This record gives sequence, structure tokens and C-alpha cells, in this order.
Amino acid sequence: MPPETLFQIANPVAMAGWLALAISPFAPRPTLIAAGLVVPVLLSLAYAALILANWSGAEGGFGSLAEVMLLFTNPAIALAGWLHYLAFDLFVGAWEVRAARRASIPHLLVLPCLVLTFLFGPVGLMAFLGLRLVHGRFATATGGAA
Amino acid sequence: MTDLALTHFTPRASARNMFDAEPLFAATGLLIGLSLAPTLMAMAMDPRDFLGENVWLKPVKFQIALTLYLLTLAFFARWLPAGITRRRSYRIYSGAVVIAVIAELVWVGGAAMFGIASHFNVSHPFMQAIYSLMGAFAVLLTSATLVQGIAIWCNRQTGLAPPLHLSIALGLVLTFGLTLIVAGTLASQSGHLVGTPVSGSTVPLLGWSREVGDLRVAHFFATHALHVLPVFGLGATALLPRRWAVPAVWAAALTFTAFVAASFAGALAGLPLVPDF
Repeated sequence: MPPETLFQIANPVAMAGWLALAISPFAPRPTLIAAGLVVPVLLSLAYAALILANWSGAEGGFGSLAEVMLLFTNPAIALAGWLHYLAFDLFVGAWEVRAARRASIPHLLVLPCLVLTFLFGPVGLMAFLGLRLVHGRFATATGGAA
Repeated sequence: MTDLALTHFTPRASARNMFDAEPLFAATGLLIGLSLAPTLMAMAMDPRDFLGENVWLKPVKFQIALTLYLLTLAFFARWLPAGITRRRSYRIYSGAVVIAVIAELVWVGGAAMFGIASHFNVSHPFMQAIYSLMGAFAVLLTSATLVQGIAIWCNRQTGLAPPLHLSIALGLVLTFGLTLIVAGTLASQSGHLVGTPVSGSTVPLLGWSREVGDLRVAHFFATHALHVLPVFGLGATALLPRRWAVPAVWAAALTFTAFVAASFAGALAGLPLVPDF
């Protein structure tokens, strides 16, 4: 399978996982299994296969920025890197939804964090961690007053 | 932050199954079976060949074989003497067997990843040293059949019918003895073929040469003694009169050994098991 085809398949699959997270309050169990397990595992499998098949043929490495950039000039390795983003961002997104449910954070507040995690992974994670921190303080304060 | 692990999705650990007598072998076998998913996908995308076959075919064969091997041992482990699997010495031994199994798979898979030979690779002192080490590991992992075979043989409390009991123990011991001879000889050659193939005709799925001697044939049969004999023992127990069943199992063991010896001798003489006319 050429890298381009796999890319065309992987993007909608990841997108389906994000949509599942967006609507997860309506059906938490199936959506979290889909977005937190099934889709990341599928993407990880494709990643593993790409690395197994193409790693030895690729130039570059992890030792310097120039080496990393050289590594990503190989289309199959670049695709593997992209699948890595897709899988891990979605996994983090699913964790955010689960952690939010546990901490009783309203889903509407989590949604912007999910959008950020989808587009700019680490920024979304920071946003969610900040939200959880602030929400925890706030909820404790009001809970104590009530 | 404790929910980082997928605690919600772990299956019920209490579900008892047919491999519970040897959880370490069962779990490792299952994990190796699962590891077929990425290697099969790699095989589908990787255009590289080695010796005329996709580079991933060999790791896939090893994964299937070792999954089957470990699950078979886990299945037979129920007939080990009570308490033996809880002994410290046994746990150290079975842990070493699992490490040997995983090392073989990493070696064969790693060689596929880099498109080089695993077995018979004497091109570089490092690869040659690894090959020797893997030979020792192969003996270690195969020795599990001898250990289990003798332990089951000596166990008078299996509750099995005598012919079936004998066939299981004998199958295990034969797997070790025959595999050691056949695979040991195979490893001392420069490759698995005896002769030079011209057309490249092979047996479907198994990949054995149909033109020249292929020592992997005898290895395959030798190692499957632990399946063949118990199946015969089961049949003998069910179908034969009681006094004939045990001798029949002994006769089957002898016949099977002769068959392995014949396929071994034939391959050494350069003859294929399934000739291509």
C-alpha cells in the first residue's frame, strides 16, 4: 500500500475518533472504547508496520535536528510520524474526556481543550490540565461554602 | 492521574480458561499471537524479499509456531505434578524459557527489519556470535518439552487413561529428542537446503523445496511430535481395546520416529518430500 493511500485512510479514521469524543456524553462507554482504544490501536498497528517495513531503508536519525529532518524526507517514515501524532493526540483526548468525567468537569468546558488537542496536541493537554486544576480549586471552594 | 492506564477496558481477570495451569506460557503465547498483527501488516506493505520470499514471512512463521508451542505447553501443564509450577526453581526455569522465546523472535524479526539473514548468518563476527547464542536459546526453549514430558510421565495422579497419558508424555519427550538431533544438524549446515534449486518450486504455505532436500521438513515433523502423538493417543484410547491401546501408542511413537528419520535422511540425501515432477 503506498503511503499516500494509507494517509487518505488514516485521517478520516482519526477524525471519527475525535467526533466520538465530542459526542461522548451521549454514549460514554462506546465512544470512549472507540476513541480511547480501537482507533489508537489501529493507528498504532499501521505505525508499527510502517516502521518495521521502512526503518532500515531510511536515512537520518534522532541525534540532531538535521538527522530528524532527513529522516522525515522518507515518505513512509513521515507518514509513520503523522500516524504517531494522530494516535497519541487522540489517546490524550480520550484521557481528557475520562479525567473530566471523573472530576465532574462539564463537557462543554472540555470541548475547547479537545479542539486544541486535535490541532496542537501539547497545547490542548496544557489547556485541559489548567482547566482541571482551576476547576478543582473552584469546586472545592464552593463545595466547602455550601 | 491513576486512570492513565486503560483500567476501564481490561477484561475480567477471573475468567478461567483452558491454559490457566501455566499462566506465564499462556500469556506469552497470546502476546506473541497478537504481535502477528503488526508483522502481517508489515508483510503487506514491505516489498523487500529475502531468498525469494517476503522478508516478513519468516518472522510470521516463527510467531505462529511459538504461539502454538507455548499454548500447547500451557495446555499440557494441567497434568504436571501438583504444586510444581509454584516452585521457585520451576519459575526461574520457565522465565528463562520465555526469555529465550522472545529473544528468538526479536532476532528473527530484527533481521527481517534490516533485510539480513538471521540463521546461518556468519557474515560478521557479531551476527555469528548472536547466531550461536540463539542456538543455545533454541535448545533451552525446546528443553521445556523434555522437562514437562518427564514430569507428566512420572505423575501418577493425572487422572488420564494410560494410553493418553503415555502419548502426551512420549510426544513431549520425542519433540525434544528428535528436534535436538534434526535442528542441531540443520544448524550445523550452511543453509536449510541440500542441493541447489533451479525453478524455486515450493510446497504452498510451508515453503519447503520441491526440488532439493529441505531439512526444515524433518524439523517440522520432529517438533510436532507433541501434537501428533497425543492425537493418536486420544484415538487409541477411544477406539482400541484397553490391552492394545498402550502398545499401539508405543508403535505409533516408533513409526513416527521412523518417519522423521526418513524425512531427515531423505533431505540430507538431497531429496524433496513432495517432488515436483
